[in-house]
Amino acid sequence: MNTVTLVAVLSMAGLGAFFAFILAILSKKLSVKDDPRVEEIKAILPGVNCGACGVASCQLFAERLLAKKVAVNGCVPGGAEVAERLAAVLGVESGETVKKVAVVHCGAGLKERKLRADYRGLKTCSAAVMVAGGELACTYGCLGYGDCDRSCPFDAIRMVDGLPQIDLVKCTGCGKCVEACPRGIISLEIWDDSYPLVTVACNSLDKGKVVRKVCPVGCIACKICEKLAPELFKIDDNLARLDTPKLKENDNWEKPLEKCPTKCIVKLSS
Amino acid sequence: MSEFLLIFISAILVNNFVLKYFLGICPFIGVSDEVTASLNMGMAVTFVMTFTAPVVWLIHTFILARFNLPFLEYVTDIIVIASLVQLVEMFIKKTSRALYNTLGIYLPLITTNCAILFSALFLVLRGYNLIQSIIFGFGSGIGFTLAIVIMAGIREELEFADIPQPFKGAAITLLVAGLMALAFMGFAGMPSA
Repeated sequence: MNTVTLVAVLSMAGLGAFFAFILAILSKKLSVKDDPRVEEIKAILPGVNCGACGVASCQLFAERLLAKKVAVNGCVPGGAEVAERLAAVLGVESGETVKKVAVVHCGAGLKERKLRADYRGLKTCSAAVMVAGGELACTYGCLGYGDCDRSCPFDAIRMVDGLPQIDLVKCTGCGKCVEACPRGIISLEIWDDSYPLVTVACNSLDKGKVVRKVCPVGCIACKICEKLAPELFKIDDNLARLDTPKLKENDNWEKPLEKCPTKCIVKLSS
Repeated sequence: MSEFLLIFISAILVNNFVLKYFLGICPFIGVSDEVTASLNMGMAVTFVMTFTAPVVWLIHTFILARFNLPFLEYVTDIIVIASLVQLVEMFIKKTSRALYNTLGIYLPLITTNCAILFSALFLVLRGYNLIQSIIFGFGSGIGFTLAIVIMAGIREELEFADIPQPFKGAAITLLVAGLMALAFMGFAGMPSA
């Protein structure tokens, strides 16, 4: 080994060791005591940084939680289970948590959809909507490019026949898909698995005549459901609305589901 | 004395790192949307530059020049800068958590800020002595701070401007940077070190 190499290696090693030594001492002196509970809380949180709690990341949620700036039941995807475990760590009451799931308000599969144009742009819903509102004849319906599917941090959405299918077990109600859908087809509904989940699979505010022209399974606001179960259904702005939480006490939904002429009232849970 | 002043002024205005050499553009564009944050960024960079300069000078003079190892220049510079950035990061985390969060990824990225590496390389290239090096490092840092704070001030005003759609965002920022560089060329008439 020649001397230049030797000196080079030795001096670099020396410098490296010297700086490492200084940093090691200073890191002890300047160390910040992170609350050990932050790590503990982070381990309990789902760790997907979905932002449904209103804070940017799970790390930040943990810090804010210790500063008592967010509630123990603030973690939406974590639900009651996480809230209880967090409450145990902090020694407080967990409080009530409301379980929500995402529900899709469109039932038109690929063959029910009528097109008014030929769209060849980017295959995302948000891009399609920007081009004169998309290629669908129905200006309220699902475009089927799966923006919601890509936005889901829990892999709870699958695109089947051009429509998002929501896995009610995996869905945590974080609301990412609600934000992602440019047409606002998805909503969060209060639901736990103690009663069947029924919904109106249409989002169109058009009059019945217009809906009939563009979609065979859209709500035509015929008011049959409202007549059969007035405590559950209500027609508002040419669209049947279902008061989902009332399904808990009221199971009067079977008849409207059967009688709906366009079959746009559907049962989602098994 | 006038020689030191010349180096100092030259590093700040005439040979401003950002606007004359186009070094350190990444934080210059990245952290310049708010005056306070950019001022803090500038101070962090100034700190690292000021302390890098004498350490690099010492290493160069007593190790690299003596043992004829100029090819180690870049590596040692990076070691020195990385260690100092680490130190600044620990210090800021200790003193101000809010500032630590604001600077975010740009704080560790000071390590790869080419303005700092070049200030270390320039002082060797120009054959400064120890005190000149410190002044040069400090001046370069102040120059960077000046540029980034002016930029942040302009961008804060730009928030309210009616910018044509194609120019929004990065485009207008780069245009502003170019115009600022043109304005700073006016200092070229001053005697520089």
